[in-house]
Amino acid sequence: MSEKKITEEEFQRIKEDLEDLEKYIEELFKFLPLAICTLNPLRIIIDVNQAFRDLTNYKVTEIIGEDIKEIFSEKKKIKNLIDNVQKKEKPLTKELTLITKEKKDIPVSVSAATRKDEKGNLIGYFLAIFDITEIKKFRESLEKKVKERTKDLEESRTALMNILEDIEEAKRKAEEERDRTNIIITNFTDGLLVFNKENKLSLINPQAKIFLKVKSEEKIIGKSINELNFLPNFKKLIKLLGKEMKGIFRQELSLSKDLILEITTVPMLRDEIKFGTIVILHNITREKLIEEMKTEFVSLAAHQLRTPLSAIKWTLRMLLDGDLGKITEEQRNFIEKTYRSNERMISLINDLLDVTRIEEGRYLYKPILTDLSIVVQFVVNSYQEEARRKQINLEFIKPKEKLPEIKIDVEKIRLAIQNLLDNAIRYTNPNGKVTVSLKYDKLKKEIELQVKDTGIGIPDDQQKRIFSKFFRAANVMRMETEGSGLGLFITKNIIEAHKGKIWFKSKENYGTTFYVTLPVKKEFEEFLKKF
Amino acid sequence: MEKKILLIEDEEIMIDLLRRKLIQEGYNVSIARDGEEGLKIMKKIMPDLILLDIIMPKMGGFEVMEEMQKDKKLAKIPVIVISNSGQPVEIDKAQKLGAKDWLIKTEFDPQEVIDKIKKQIK
Repeated sequence: MSEKKITEEEFQRIKEDLEDLEKYIEELFKFLPLAICTLNPLRIIIDVNQAFRDLTNYKVTEIIGEDIKEIFSEKKKIKNLIDNVQKKEKPLTKELTLITKEKKDIPVSVSAATRKDEKGNLIGYFLAIFDITEIKKFRESLEKKVKERTKDLEESRTALMNILEDIEEAKRKAEEERDRTNIIITNFTDGLLVFNKENKLSLINPQAKIFLKVKSEEKIIGKSINELNFLPNFKKLIKLLGKEMKGIFRQELSLSKDLILEITTVPMLRDEIKFGTIVILHNITREKLIEEMKTEFVSLAAHQLRTPLSAIKWTLRMLLDGDLGKITEEQRNFIEKTYRSNERMISLINDLLDVTRIEEGRYLYKPILTDLSIVVQFVVNSYQEEARRKQINLEFIKPKEKLPEIKIDVEKIRLAIQNLLDNAIRYTNPNGKVTVSLKYDKLKKEIELQVKDTGIGIPDDQQKRIFSKFFRAANVMRMETEGSGLGLFITKNIIEAHKGKIWFKSKENYGTTFYVTLPVKKEFEEFLKKF
Repeated sequence: MEKKILLIEDEEIMIDLLRRKLIQEGYNVSIARDGEEGLKIMKKIMPDLILLDIIMPKMGGFEVMEEMQKDKKLAKIPVIVISNSGQPVEIDKAQKLGAKDWLIKTEFDPQEVIDKIKKQIK
């Protein structure tokens, strides 16, 4: 479990880093009067600044993911320029013709430079595109106005040089940030896949290559989901993801007996528009194995602990039912008492087994969307007779409005409420009152349960230890010796496993109120469903 | 015709109690003390229902059900699991292997076992 937590934190941090970086580059690029675009090694546009959009009239969503040659008339020349930059390993400049969205030709000067990571591997290119329409006009009128214009021109050249220097600096910083992110992605222990807005694979980290048995990256980068089906492990993953790449949260995918992954997808959004998807592959093989071993262990423990108790229970039951011959009233009396003692032992063992399971971690088995008031009503009903017998008024105040459904493990929550109600009734004297109520806090988006009694209360000096394992308060011990001291420990664990909270207010001899809140957390799932 | 019930269980006292109760209810009872013996006997007598323990020597209850699934005739015999454990994962697994019901011994008594049997074979 702890392993998983660290991963989530790391992922969160990387996500924040990426967001910071994105903002940083965006802000830096925004004010530059020079059109800049960033390309990946395949010359696909992966980022552009405001000046670029102004010059070309393309929106971000229209241009990201396009091949750079699409926006130039001289398609071979732009390709050659980029190839040469890579071969000669120095920035180059060339005059070309840019085609805007409206098919208008603009003469431009294109400067290209490579982007490299720390190890000197090529990770893409930078292109600075300078509109030279004006410069051309200058040149034409130059003959007429050489003398008066020379000075101006020189000044504007100097300005241009300054801008280019600034761009170099910005480029260097951006590259640094990108390299850092790349190192993080490369060394990430989870597998990561990045798909672009057309659902084509644009990045795969080394761990994902190992998980999916990818030998050569070149064969899969830039391929669409359908084209990736040729790799058996990809096929299984794609079956889970679907062609639309809907949001997936922690779904299990078994690639082989020795490799079970947990898959999560995260949409990449800019201005609420999806421009790609990150797929996270988390290895849970070991956790699954441990889980299986634990199940086996609990099963064996249950067997060892319960076998003699079942034998006693069944023997006594059959004696009582007369299945083993007639018994006298006195014998019946003794056997009934023994039967009840045995039942107490059984419930103590049940509590112990529940505790074992809690400490194993995987305690919530099947969370399903449920109306909590139905669960509470069920538990309250099952205690009415007990309350009547003890002459206690047990009341359930239902919520005024229908509660939103919440995802809970019904069996466990029932057990938690049962423990609270059991205590309330057990430790309230005859003619007392136990009130259960439910309400929904719209602002906090949580459901609150209250179990209030007019019972013996919890002594001040012992309130701190009330949720500890095997703890029983002094006044309670005096009153009744029965009880495992595990009820509230189990209840607290159940509530916290649901990301809820539990607390109480109590005054000795006046009564106790337990409060439980459970979060209504549908937003995140709803959010994921949208993609 | 008397219905045939095969009880596969290793705990002597449980065998004693259940056998007595089942005979009282008019069933024809056969006993196996481990999974292997259970498989042998069920092939021979083709019982109407099987009461199956999970943790047993030689071959456990899950393996017995796995073996039964491989045989078309045996797969049709209704199985009620009687176990001392009852974790949701285990119950799920048993259901997938065709078990009709799962009883935790400490939570039921012999009469309730009879009721469950009657539900399966009338």
